[in-house]
Amino acid sequence: MNKTQKSAIYCLSVFSLCITMCIYLVIKIYILKSVPGKPSSIFWMVIYFLVTAAPFIFLRKKQSPNEPDADERDDLIKKRAVVCSFVSVWVLLAITSIAPRFIVGSEASIPAWALPLINLPIFLIAMGIYSIAVLIQYGRGDKDGES
Amino acid sequence: MAKVEFTNSVRRLRFENDEMSQQDLAGKAGCTRQTIIAIEQGKYNPSLALAFKIARAFSQKIEDVFQYNEDSNK
Repeated sequence: MNKTQKSAIYCLSVFSLCITMCIYLVIKIYILKSVPGKPSSIFWMVIYFLVTAAPFIFLRKKQSPNEPDADERDDLIKKRAVVCSFVSVWVLLAITSIAPRFIVGSEASIPAWALPLINLPIFLIAMGIYSIAVLIQYGRGDKDGES
Repeated sequence: MAKVEFTNSVRRLRFENDEMSQQDLAGKAGCTRQTIIAIEQGKYNPSLALAFKIARAFSQKIEDVFQYNEDSNK
């Protein structure tokens, strides 16, 4: 597994963690109608470790000292993944522009503070799509493309 | 129009060169091991620059390592 794959797995892990936390909070606040409890300090330490320290440990090891971190194929894969991610941003922007009309009605209004909450996840999802696109392109072979 | 077929002899040449590992070839050609695997499996066609580097790693001409099947394009 090279550095690009490892980065994509790391991004996907962070994305999955964020989505899981969002789903948990939405269920807790809007469905169970209860205020979530204050998370423990250990929880925040784990989150802080995952977001800051883990990439340095996870991405540090190279396959070989002579081998580059990325080559032309990796650049091509990353370029295609960026295109996928860019297209997904536009599609999601279109969906989030139309969806409120069907959810709250065409004459209703939504509070201004809700707009960042609607728009920011688009970029989070775009990050997830980028990572998935990278992993799919690498995963066309078996393990490490090796048969 | 038929699909253009590129073939290569990278795997054979590795074994003819003292069973050179994919890692060693990747180091000599300046690419990753995954790229060598993809080239051997015919899943990736390298750029001209990388093709030359791989050929030089085997001390061969580029056409001895990479072949273009002209008949399939007719």
